[in-house]
Amino acid sequence: MVGLLALMLAAFSLAAPLAAEAPREKASVATLPPMGNHSVWVPDRLTQHNLLFDGDSGEVLGMIDSPSLITPKTPLFVRSRNEIYSVDIAHSRGTRGERVDFVSVYDATTLAFKHEIVFPTQSGSSNTSQQYAELIGERFIGVFNQFPNTSVAVIDLVERRFVEEIVTTGCAGVYPIDAHRFAALCGNGTTVAIELDESGSFKQFSRSARFFDVVEDPVAMSAGRTGLRWTFVSFEGQAHTIDYSEGTPVVAASWSLTDEAERSNEWRPGGLQYVAVHGKSGRLFVVMHQGGAGSHKESGPEVWVWDMATQKRVGRFGSPNLTAAFLGSFMGVTEDSFVHDVLNWVLPSGGIHTIAVSQDESPLLFVRNGMLGAIGVLDATTGQSLRTLSEAGLAGPTLRVP
Amino acid sequence: MKGLDEWLEQRARKIARNTSRRTFLARLGGMLAGGAALPLLPVARASAGPDSARVPAPDETIEGPEGDPKSCEYWRHCAIDGSACACCGGSSTTCPPGTEISPVTWIGTCRNPADGKEYLISYNDCCGKTFCGRCICNRNEGERPEYHWYRNNDINWCAGATSQVYNCSIAVVVGQATESQPEK
Repeated sequence: MVGLLALMLAAFSLAAPLAAEAPREKASVATLPPMGNHSVWVPDRLTQHNLLFDGDSGEVLGMIDSPSLITPKTPLFVRSRNEIYSVDIAHSRGTRGERVDFVSVYDATTLAFKHEIVFPTQSGSSNTSQQYAELIGERFIGVFNQFPNTSVAVIDLVERRFVEEIVTTGCAGVYPIDAHRFAALCGNGTTVAIELDESGSFKQFSRSARFFDVVEDPVAMSAGRTGLRWTFVSFEGQAHTIDYSEGTPVVAASWSLTDEAERSNEWRPGGLQYVAVHGKSGRLFVVMHQGGAGSHKESGPEVWVWDMATQKRVGRFGSPNLTAAFLGSFMGVTEDSFVHDVLNWVLPSGGIHTIAVSQDESPLLFVRNGMLGAIGVLDATTGQSLRTLSEAGLAGPTLRVP
Repeated sequence: MKGLDEWLEQRARKIARNTSRRTFLARLGGMLAGGAALPLLPVARASAGPDSARVPAPDETIEGPEGDPKSCEYWRHCAIDGSACACCGGSSTTCPPGTEISPVTWIGTCRNPADGKEYLISYNDCCGKTFCGRCICNRNEGERPEYHWYRNNDINWCAGATSQVYNCSIAVVVGQATESQPEK
């Protein structure tokens, strides 16, 4: 026994110097780099969170939990306060109990929870929740409510308080205009611009002329912004640009995205978030497919690109095979492998439901299929497929570039 | 090769049929000056007729997927978005055990291939249990964005229930349409 002990001590004495020379690691918590131009929020319906990806490296930078009872709303970011806001819904016992609607505020460097702002209205939730919660300037968030009224709740992020509920019967969405104004789309084919006073309370509103027919050819909630103008795209492929720079919204002449030959081949917009605009270049991106009436939520094999100034199409981008990318990542197949090539060839592409474009000088176009946890990254100028954001959850219909 | 073609076609059709998804809620409210000129509710048209309450039940003797409440092709499912409750412990007209029926719904008009008649369908959401996730369907005949709320199938209609948690959707015939729906 004494011999064994001596042997163990000898072994320890030999090992100890080696351990002392090994680098000493210390566990810690990572922080986020400053929000980049090519970051993108990827919400997941099943896991109830938003992953933040770096579109250049393809890496996940962090995530925000986003309880919503359905698709999480995408987070909002204000650079001047370095804060991220998530408009959330929760029941006290998960699927039952008291309902609470609140804005969760996070530090944009640590992603640590800072505080919350509870508000008394019931925020809307839907499959996409597009334009349901948006920043109005940097101080306010407008939250679209659907029950029992259609209305917008105004949240003051500086004063950390609910300001008031503005009833918007017959209208939907929150389309930011400037520091104190937002717009909504209305069922009678108009849009209203709603102005807040300095404290965020309702001041006045103005309504545009009627510019679309909800029965014959409605516009999608998905839309793109260029400064004080919003461009809406109809189910049949009409582009409507509204100028909100004056007191009353001004409707520009609409134009068709398709020519007669394309219409006869049933090319039309479709998807879940099928419109994006790059503000500086004035380029309009729309997911396109071939289908008839009622196909407005179908995915498309292509994204078409127009110069809105000339109303000329300047690009047709094909969809990467996101089905292969999604399944390949589960199978441990790398994108540069032969097996991945086989998957690309064998598996039909599910097409694109959703797009988002970064707003910098070298923009990226992010594309996703609502049922696949793989996001395609394209050069928004050339349409070249650059990479895939893989293992991006299981399903989700939206994207947001912060 | 024909088999592969068929498989690919079926796969593509399934993806196209099942994409997008679900959900819910809403209702009328106050008045933002001027409000909106809401078109006449189709459900109002259905109930307006003196015989609407006595409309005979639609003929359900339909072969194939159009007669199968578990299928996205089921004739009543022409504007459904979500899980068909027949796959979740319920049926086309009953919510699964332990759930709650949403009191507000969206409306579709679907043609019954057995009798060739158009019926108004109320797509009530069943609420209070998490997403069933089976038989997920998305069809959008006559579906419209949220500003035309009663024709919108994205909204979480469980918002009108005690729990806003969505489980699945049923498709209840509420009347026979007196005319085809204007929305295509």
